[in-house]
Amino acid sequence: MTEVFAQPPGLTAYLLLAAMLFSIGLYGVLSRKNTLAILVSIELMANAVNINLVAFSRFSGDLTGQAFALFSIALTVAEVVIGIAIIVLMYRSHKSIDADATTALRG
Amino acid sequence: MLTAALLPILLPLACFFLLAICWPLRHLGKLAGAISSAVAIISCLSAVRLLNMVMSGAVDPQEGFTHTATWLVANGRTIAEVGIHVDGISASMLVVITLVAACVQVYSLGYLADEPEPHLGRYFTWHSLFIFAMGGLVLAPNLLQAFMCWELVGLCSYLLIGYYWTKPEAGHAAVKAFWITKFADMGLLAGLCVLYASTGAFEWDVRLATGTATLISALIFMGVMGKSAQVPLHVWLPNAMEGPTPVSALLHAATMVAAGVFLVVRAYPIFAQAPDVLLAMTYIGAITAFVAACTAVVQDDIKKVLAYSTCSQLGFMIAALGTGSILGGYFHLTTHAFFKALLFLGAGAAIHAVHSNSIHDMGGLIKKTPVSAVMFIIGAAALAGIPGLSGFFSKDIILEEMIHGGHWVPLGLLLVSAALTAFYMTRVVVIAFLGSPSEAVEKAHGAPIVMGAPMAALTILALVTGYAGAQLGGLWGGTIAFHVTPVGIAATSAGLAGVIYGVLLYGKGIAGPSSAGLRDFILSGPIDTFWRGTWDRGILPTAKRIAWTDRYVVDGAVNWFGWAAIKGSEAARRLQTGRAQDYAVAVIVGVLFFVLYGAVGG
Repeated sequence: MTEVFAQPPGLTAYLLLAAMLFSIGLYGVLSRKNTLAILVSIELMANAVNINLVAFSRFSGDLTGQAFALFSIALTVAEVVIGIAIIVLMYRSHKSIDADATTALRG
Repeated sequence: MLTAALLPILLPLACFFLLAICWPLRHLGKLAGAISSAVAIISCLSAVRLLNMVMSGAVDPQEGFTHTATWLVANGRTIAEVGIHVDGISASMLVVITLVAACVQVYSLGYLADEPEPHLGRYFTWHSLFIFAMGGLVLAPNLLQAFMCWELVGLCSYLLIGYYWTKPEAGHAAVKAFWITKFADMGLLAGLCVLYASTGAFEWDVRLATGTATLISALIFMGVMGKSAQVPLHVWLPNAMEGPTPVSALLHAATMVAAGVFLVVRAYPIFAQAPDVLLAMTYIGAITAFVAACTAVVQDDIKKVLAYSTCSQLGFMIAALGTGSILGGYFHLTTHAFFKALLFLGAGAAIHAVHSNSIHDMGGLIKKTPVSAVMFIIGAAALAGIPGLSGFFSKDIILEEMIHGGHWVPLGLLLVSAALTAFYMTRVVVIAFLGSPSEAVEKAHGAPIVMGAPMAALTILALVTGYAGAQLGGLWGGTIAFHVTPVGIAATSAGLAGVIYGVLLYGKGIAGPSSAGLRDFILSGPIDTFWRGTWDRGILPTAKRIAWTDRYVVDGAVNWFGWAAIKGSEAARRLQTGRAQDYAVAVIVGVLFFVLYGAVGG
């Protein structure tokens, strides 16, 4: 067991971390009722992807993945802005940011 | 040539559309009638011009002039054509139609003068449509166009019988006429289908295998039996007398009912290949002539007498065609059209004078309305076959042909019918026009000139048409020559005997034939009873069963699918919760399923 931690972490460890982060985010998206919490969970999932990109880039020696991760972070920021704007509008119209408050599509 | 041929039928069509679409004009009944009559007269004159062109040799009377336009194109192939075919047969028939139609329309202006204006407009609208339809039928270059116009004249007949639509009897009579002729037309339609299946066209003149020819001829003849009122499908014609008398004169005496005879004449190349059907025609025609003549003897309604007489005369024509005597049958059609139209118009004048259809309410009309009475008597004499008048010549030729064919039983029936014809016409003339005047007759008034003039025109034609036999025969590609033969003498004697017996019997004021039992049996309408029984016990229960199956089995299945769809959707709609997270779960489960499927199964 000690030998595992003695060595520097390999690709598998990063991928496992990313998978765990993604799953936690997914669980949050599906289970949280507060839309802000759902937005934060989406951020977790996006960052899991970024970790994958950087990890593959680092272990293959190709910088393309890291460049791509920077773009991804910038895009995520934009997405958060839009997401929060939607939540603000939702609060204005429904007086609530609960995910279950919007069920206009119910059959 | 094309314009000359189209003019007589397209003018009435234009008039029909004008009156049908322009309703303020139609509601001015008298004006609509005047327009329609004027169009009918012009159409008649142009038909005469067309006949003159054919007679002068501008068109060969046998080969004819044909002009067709493509109709019903499918997959680049022409299924049928419409157009005109002018030859001796169609040109002369067109003159008969337009002439009688013009007379009848002018007559109607007087006869129906007291009708409400909008109704009168409607009447003339249908009349114009009828002239077009009948003209289209006789000029048809193929059987399909003939069938189309055949149905159109049937529609006009239905509409005009039901003219007095507030009277329940008129409505029933219209529906009865329509249904019975439609029933017969099922045969004609089936015949057309078989013809198309075996030749790929609707031509008049085709060579067929014997079996096919027999089948097609029999099916076409079924339609003819309905339209030309042959036993046992004749029961609609007496009821059709519920329509106005001029309608009876035009449709149910002179032209429409003769359409069946015309159709056989036109399609004779097909019939000639089916000797069995021709033999059946001879017998059916002769039986019709006899049965209808017997029935006519006991009728008290003047129009019913004439209706049964029409049936009987159509029987003569059909019998003649069955023996192969196209010229005889067609000649009788032409002469009959004029004198029977005259008789109906004369009967109309009598009805107009006394406001009753019963011959017993008339009596002694010759003193009050001498001119129309004399014209009626001339028509009756022509029908009875008095020597020198038109009916005499044409009836003689038919009987002569019977001898040539060796058909002794039909010949006997026709001779008896000829005697009966003379007898029942004498009965009507003696009771209604000679005899002692009844109370109604004392107040009777003469017919106006618009009624008298058309009758006079038809009287002249009833007098002279018989002498035009040679010319008409040449026009139709044969010879109509008159000989003095034993059968002719026998027929004339039979006719004269009928007249003399009638005068002796009714001149003394006896009410009817002595055999009261037979009289009641005929009056009870045995064939009507037969159809009524077939309807009540056969057709109606079967139809009800079919309706039940349709309503509960076929419709039931359809409705079950509808019900199942509604219930299924009501269950399925609960899947849509409207919550975004539920949809996200569905998406993720779906993606996972495909990923796992790819990992395991792929």
